[in-house]
Amino acid sequence: MEALEFGFMQRALLASTIIAAVAPLVGSFIVQRRQALIGEGMGHVAFAGVGLAFLTGLDPLLGALALTLLAAVALVRLSRGSAGGDVSLALVFYGGLAAGYLFSARGGGGQNQILSLLFGSPLNLTWGQVATVAALATAVALALAFLYRQLVALAFDEAAARASGVPTTGLVMALTVLVALVVVAGMSTIGLLLISAMMVIPVATAAHIATSYRATLWLSSAIGAVSAAAGTLVSYHANVPTGSAIVLTALALYIGAAVTHAAARYLARRRHVRPGRPVDLVPDD
Amino acid sequence: MSPSPATADSVVPLEFDHVSFGYNGQIVIRDVSLQVRQGTFVAMVGANGSGKSTLVRLALGLLRPSQGRVRLFDTDTAAFRQWWRVGYVPQRAAADSTLPISVDEVVRTGLAGQLHPGRRATRHHRQRIEHVLEVMGLTGLRRRRIDELSGGQQQRALIARALVTEPSLLILDEPTTGVDADARAVLRDSLEHLVAVENVAVVYVSHDPQTFAGLATCVVELRAGTLHILGPPAHVAGSA
Repeated sequence: MEALEFGFMQRALLASTIIAAVAPLVGSFIVQRRQALIGEGMGHVAFAGVGLAFLTGLDPLLGALALTLLAAVALVRLSRGSAGGDVSLALVFYGGLAAGYLFSARGGGGQNQILSLLFGSPLNLTWGQVATVAALATAVALALAFLYRQLVALAFDEAAARASGVPTTGLVMALTVLVALVVVAGMSTIGLLLISAMMVIPVATAAHIATSYRATLWLSSAIGAVSAAAGTLVSYHANVPTGSAIVLTALALYIGAAVTHAAARYLARRRHVRPGRPVDLVPDD
Repeated sequence: MSPSPATADSVVPLEFDHVSFGYNGQIVIRDVSLQVRQGTFVAMVGANGSGKSTLVRLALGLLRPSQGRVRLFDTDTAAFRQWWRVGYVPQRAAADSTLPISVDEVVRTGLAGQLHPGRRATRHHRQRIEHVLEVMGLTGLRRRRIDELSGGQQQRALIARALVTEPSLLILDEPTTGVDADARAVLRDSLEHLVAVENVAVVYVSHDPQTFAGLATCVVELRAGTLHILGPPAHVAGSA
């Protein structure tokens, strides 16, 4: 394949595939907890971190990492304190967006540079940046494997998990930090505003097919990786932005799975309901 | 108030000792004292808003009393660490899941508080999982998505989750809401077995006395946050 002969394409493919494979693993837990938009908000905060880095001369990745980790702690404390979950999300995220634009404007961040962070520019990655993405993604995957049982309990029923002795507040904090790490790892490849889509869309796609939580995790990870690889190649051949191509590929897979699932259910119902045959509205034990 | 005679050396699984609790200055629970001993079945009734769910949350350590003490196995809930000794069965609505989760996985989440992160389930844990699935009649359904099961089957999965750690105290909060008659019968048989054979202490919260008639050792009622002992379940069923 011609595209793979170029170093920039190899780096783009590798980095986007790695992060798009790990993002749904974290996403599975936030979707189950009905916090699908938390990644989007973290992207806003990371934007503030990047703006702060422009202002102070720091590495944008370090600025984004510092501020998102701070936001993760603040978010959990706020949501468990006087402010409700929705309000605390809004406070942290709108603050992040406003501060990000302010810092960037004052720090002299060029419009192209800001846009590339918001929507991704994997074709400009160095091997060092690819290694950073891989290291962050590996750390996230290992943390998820370590906390897997407790995270499933938390995501399925927080009250029961807490009653059975699971330290839920600490676990929610850990999960929010993992979301922050995925956002930071994905900012240069898929973009701060689009990486959260890869935490949600592949999970929603897998949920149409899988029959268990574990299968949903593995399948969503595979869907994320395939979307990233296909989207990156499409962006090369069609000359379109890579982050957008990756997310739209994932969306196309979701639509395909949803339509197939709906058709299968329709056919199954038709097979069971025949004229003149009584229908059990309430299934028996 | 003590639903069963005390013995000098017996550990009390659950004790409310002059407990009061309020939200935003409004008293919800008033000076409640109650002991639930091993092998007893305490049914708790009360109208909506009477404070039943608050009392359950106090028992589970999810709330701290404003006054008095809540003890689990003679330890204040604030200092209690052996949460695996307490099983909790919420209303069936807790089985609503955005993502697919199998019955087997739901039951395994019951071990999350007992097993440290990164630790694998031991052979004993795996045997226990098999046992509770079998007792609850879920062995053949273990690979099925929980949201594809009937209300009664979902409730049985939540009970199996609560039993997987072999608790000595089981707290059930409106467990039969939205559950069909067959599943209620299975639940009754299971609870009878747990109390009579395995000496488990059961706290059963329900607004419907019919669901525990013939099972309860003692029936208590919460009225505006105050606890009243009503007596044997037949009396309650008759007055309902």
